[in-house]
Amino acid sequence: MVYNFFKNLTSEATLRGISSVLHKQRLFCTAAQASQILATNEKHITSFRTAESNPLKHNFDHAYRFYTIPVEVKNQLFQHGGLPKYFNEQAKAFMETCVMVRDPALEILHYLKTADYSRPAIRYVIYGESGCGKSITLAHILHYGLTAGFLLIHVPWVPNWMRVCKEVSNSATREGYVDLNLDAAEWLIHFKNQNAALLNNIDLRVSKEYAWSKREKTEEGVPLLELVEHGINRVKYASECVVALVKEIKLHSTQGRCKTLVVIDGFNAFFHPRTRVVTAEKIQVPPSKITLTEAFIEITKYDWCNGAVILTVDKTGVADDRRESFLPIYQLGKEGFEHLDPFVPISVREYSEKELESCLDYYVDRRWLQNEKSFTEEGRKELKYLCGMNPRRLMHVCAPL
Amino acid sequence: MAPLNMVFGSVLRKNIIFNNAEVLYKRVNLVNAYSMYGPQFVEPVYKKDKQESMYESGEIENILHVPVKAARVDATCSVFHDELVRKFTNLVMRDGRKILARELIEEAFEKIKRIQLQRYHSTEDPEKKTSVLTDPLKIFHAALANSKPVLQLTPIKRGGVTYQVPVPITDKRSQFLAMKWIILAAKDKDPKVHFPEKLAWELVDAAGNQGKVVKKKQDLHRQCEANRAYAHYRWS
Repeated sequence: MVYNFFKNLTSEATLRGISSVLHKQRLFCTAAQASQILATNEKHITSFRTAESNPLKHNFDHAYRFYTIPVEVKNQLFQHGGLPKYFNEQAKAFMETCVMVRDPALEILHYLKTADYSRPAIRYVIYGESGCGKSITLAHILHYGLTAGFLLIHVPWVPNWMRVCKEVSNSATREGYVDLNLDAAEWLIHFKNQNAALLNNIDLRVSKEYAWSKREKTEEGVPLLELVEHGINRVKYASECVVALVKEIKLHSTQGRCKTLVVIDGFNAFFHPRTRVVTAEKIQVPPSKITLTEAFIEITKYDWCNGAVILTVDKTGVADDRRESFLPIYQLGKEGFEHLDPFVPISVREYSEKELESCLDYYVDRRWLQNEKSFTEEGRKELKYLCGMNPRRLMHVCAPL
Repeated sequence: MAPLNMVFGSVLRKNIIFNNAEVLYKRVNLVNAYSMYGPQFVEPVYKKDKQESMYESGEIENILHVPVKAARVDATCSVFHDELVRKFTNLVMRDGRKILARELIEEAFEKIKRIQLQRYHSTEDPEKKTSVLTDPLKIFHAALANSKPVLQLTPIKRGGVTYQVPVPITDKRSQFLAMKWIILAAKDKDPKVHFPEKLAWELVDAAGNQGKVVKKKQDLHRQCEANRAYAHYRWS
């Protein structure tokens, strides 16, 4: 294990080292391709928009431009959450879901394309100031995962479980543990929605028998979807199903039957001792005593391969005593950091000059910026100054104009 | 106005006839008692383009070497600043909570944009499409223009009977009434509906020359028309 660990670490270091060289090479080799695409879609020749909606082909030619997520993909990926609420509203007003191709996403996509999947799963931790686009970056990567044929394990927003869980009950099988039945079932539905098409193609079967109660059990060798269905239909066992499902996927992945992409938003919520999950005896439950936590702690370990783990740490995801910094080491705490170490930190920063211009152009194109003054150089300068290059703040500053 | 004119005639030794208060305030720098500024102070010009145009027209010479009052806190040189919106914000404001008032109006503007964008995208005909206004500021101005009354009823007592007499009103008064009516109409709502949302709908309706506020204006005009026989009580 230690050997693997070091090997993992060195491969990361080299990856980071050579990535910049590769970027430059890519710039030259795909220029012709990009111009072809642009020529074929004359409608889309704009500086802020790219017609390339396949994230497999995204590279630095498409940087700082918006690409459209097709409606059916959006329905498959984000029907049960995954995009921020306000972003969804914007998508509705704009009549399309567009995501800017940005550096952190491209960096991760590049790593995902070039990583050696026979090695232990690499953990990527996305961090950044709130409103800078961590969740949108995740959405982009998720789209990549779907098109590249990864099995997706996606948690839209972990703090939802820790803050506004729908139902709390004591675990029947584990002493002192707590089940969030409805949330677990909801997650299973989300999982099924994202992966049903893929799971029908590749034949994954349950590796051992699970006995839920005296009468109910899942036989060895039934399709994995049946396990999911069981959790959805028998909500009482949903949490256990999630744990079992995750362990099964890990096993299949390690044996090379599928590629798995784990995407978890707000991962640091698993490591903050305070939650709003309260038992019937009015006792606050720490995340470590929630069954769901175990599943996602299990899948973020590095003792499996043929997969990648992409997490975000978000200071809005935890209670307000841990909001001084957005850096992973502070947000994860000692326990979380030791669990994830070693990982590749990916920083999502504020907009650059180019990105801001492209975003403003996009808003003008979608008729979101209407004030005559916002078309002038002076108006744009003022917007830039007001938002401080923060994407979310820019969105809010532009809202009444 | 007549006695005032006489007073000014005697005090200032000038025979100026003022027929309304505004002209009077302009000609004679009337100062509030206990004002921190003397009569020589002029109002600040805080808009960049206004300053530039004043430099171009040479108007600036008049105030270049005159002491200027400090600008108010809500006077900003932002290009997005609009005098009418500022006024409207102050009327929406309660208990001095200006930040809240501004947020409410901004939210209403955003909502207007959403409503109109949906309309814009749902209309198929390209000619009609261009006629859909999506600029919230323009909609606000149009709504205000459509809600402004030109006449008002004033109770005047003649021969022991109080008559509702139609009188013309100043632009400022009619602007105030329009703003007040819009706000009242927006506050008349179901408790579950938020103020900005209702305000947005009222503004959109008024901009299209329909809705509660425009109806109120038309009712008032109708009443004035009906009471035109009493109009002479204004002066006799």
